[in-house]
Amino acid sequence: MSLVVRKYVPQLIVSVIIVLSIAFYYLYINDSVAKGLTTADKALSDWAVIVTSFALIVGGVDILRYHLTKIRREGLRQAPFSAVTISLLAIMVILALIGWYWSYANPKAGITITTQPQFTWLYSNIYAPADSAMYSILVFYIASASYRAFRVRNPPALLLLVTAVIVMLGNTTIGGLIWPGFLGLRDWIMTVPNTAAFRPITIGAGLGTIILGLRLLTWREISWMGRRD
Amino acid sequence: MIDWSVFGAWISAAMVVWIYSFAYRDNVFYKLAEHMFVGAAAGYSIALALDSLNRVMIKPAVTTPSTFWPNSWHYVIPAILGVLMFAKYSRRYYWLARYAVAVNIAVGTGLAMRTVPIANIVKQVTATIVPLWGSDPVAVLNNWLLVLITIGGLTYFLFTVFPKRAEGARPSPLYYAYRALYYIGIYGMMVGFGALFANTIMTRVGFLISIYLIYLQPQYWATIVAAILAAVAILLSLRKK
Amino acid sequence: MSGSISLGKILESRELLYTLLLISVILPIIHPLGIPIAVSARTKAVYNYIENNLKPGCHVYFEIYYEVAARGELEPNVVALTKHLFDKGCKIVYVSLASYGVVVFNLLKSTAADIFQGKEYGKDYVFLGYVAGGESAAASLAKSIKGTVSTDNYGNRLEDLPLMREVDKATDFDLVIIASSGTDTFAYYVRQWYTPYNVPLLFAALSIIAPSIEPYVGAKQAVGMLVGQRAGAEYEVLVGRLGLGMASMDAQSTSHMLVLAFIVIGNVVYWSRRLSSKKGGGK
Repeated sequence: MSLVVRKYVPQLIVSVIIVLSIAFYYLYINDSVAKGLTTADKALSDWAVIVTSFALIVGGVDILRYHLTKIRREGLRQAPFSAVTISLLAIMVILALIGWYWSYANPKAGITITTQPQFTWLYSNIYAPADSAMYSILVFYIASASYRAFRVRNPPALLLLVTAVIVMLGNTTIGGLIWPGFLGLRDWIMTVPNTAAFRPITIGAGLGTIILGLRLLTWREISWMGRRD
Repeated sequence: MIDWSVFGAWISAAMVVWIYSFAYRDNVFYKLAEHMFVGAAAGYSIALALDSLNRVMIKPAVTTPSTFWPNSWHYVIPAILGVLMFAKYSRRYYWLARYAVAVNIAVGTGLAMRTVPIANIVKQVTATIVPLWGSDPVAVLNNWLLVLITIGGLTYFLFTVFPKRAEGARPSPLYYAYRALYYIGIYGMMVGFGALFANTIMTRVGFLISIYLIYLQPQYWATIVAAILAAVAILLSLRKK
Repeated sequence: MSGSISLGKILESRELLYTLLLISVILPIIHPLGIPIAVSARTKAVYNYIENNLKPGCHVYFEIYYEVAARGELEPNVVALTKHLFDKGCKIVYVSLASYGVVVFNLLKSTAADIFQGKEYGKDYVFLGYVAGGESAAASLAKSIKGTVSTDNYGNRLEDLPLMREVDKATDFDLVIIASSGTDTFAYYVRQWYTPYNVPLLFAALSIIAPSIEPYVGAKQAVGMLVGQRAGAEYEVLVGRLGLGMASMDAQSTSHMLVLAFIVIGNVVYWSRRLSSKKGGGK
């Protein structure tokens, strides 16, 4: 019984929902049934939206737990930055809740959870620049890799380099000064050989998605349940 | 009185500079910026989840119950499943969280599975069926390249079925055809990856340019002070070593 | 001997590379070079599509799915497209399937305040805000926007907004524009909007992901694609409003030349060392 509810019922839910999801899309009996199926399909999508929202909350709580555990284990002196993380997390959630309260208490003020002024200040001045910097720091490593790792050792690598040079010159205005044809050549590379090169990858990704779905449907894929039995 | 917009702009500039300082060396200011980022990100994701729940479920239920409850009463079920996700922290009832995850995974997989055969496979294959002869030599050449590189790329990824070369025997024409397509696929993909590399540089440099224009250039004093602080921290940590 | 080794070490040090890269980006921004830009055929094709196919009063669905970091590459495209659409008299419904879309949209409005001037919120454009759920949300919005969300980003009920009385599902829109920094978003809309409903899609993508979504454009699942900062700068020239895109092109040019120099020098150094060690080994 316990294995049934721990393991088999969740897998059954996955199989049933996948079959229903596909049936809602492809099955047609008559117009009124089709309308009912469309409504049911939309309801299924909305369920996923609601569950995703709870998953985000659980993710935030996970971070809170990790840093609280770190402080408890190492003490505040060894883990001062964990206190910074927890403080900011708590402040942002409290401000969001204040915004939520005002959205009901005074709707005309136009304040919602995400438009609460102090909340927006914290996001715009702490999260947004840090996020941008984290993404863009890769440019340094790419530049370093261009000098230290990009070695032409065989003909395919030479073709890769030549293509990269042509597209780089086509992407920039200075390439147009050197030779105006780089722009047209870049467009041709992107529309013909590049499209053809990535088409097998797109097809392969599609086949992989179908195979993963079939594995979930036939209970062969159980990694999503975690390691515990 | 503090001008919060100016103070915020200084903080932004400092956050960017301290995170970039990691490229040179790990230092205490980078750690501070990183932990502030993690806290803000976690808080923001919780706030957004609450906002989404409020707009989809809670606000309609509270403000228009007469239309919500008859048509959308079933939203209570994913809400209960979502609350059950917190059971993952329990040693005994961790499996309750699997029900919500099952719904999410199944809906995502089902949505993808029902349209992937058309969008990713059929459409891509039909787009590869192009005329291989005609009056326009450039279009014909393009079409030949398209077909050969696509088939070559598919051949390259075919790991299971390929003609074997028998010991001592002369290879069959099929073997030569397979190897030709295999090498066309490799060279075709090298062209694709070369374009990818060039576009990667464009994107990453674009990020750097926009960050400089938006956060650093308007607050150059804050940028310089933050850079000096990070440099001092790096030099001190190098001296300690 | 030891002098050349230490000089070589300095030249090869990553810190020098990083500093040179920063200089190559910052210097042209402070002192622009003013290199002229030519408009590519692909960008012109997108411009012509909107010019020839969209009539005054048409409805456009605009997905904003890029983080603040990607503003440099995508905001020029989004701003220029918005200007073009407003000049054509189109009405726009902005949505974001990403949590950061809300802040990005606010930043967009502050950057392009002149474009939104004279346009009435609720009548000419609406921002629905963040809709959680990824592909499920895209599918749900395609079926019914009012059935997916009941209010916009600012708490207004959708029934109270004049624009939202005119549109509700995928087939009500004349064009769907997706400005995204992730590959998956394009796939969501191809699968959930184009495949079932045949709604025309237009992509605005980062340069880095353009190669991987090119097959969708090649298969005519999208009417066109604007790629990165260069296309943004070109579109700014076409609509007559120069902005972040054009301001960035000189810095793009110098930094690309620097990276090219790194690649060439790196290979020259590598091959000269390899050939000289072979010669020495041969003796």
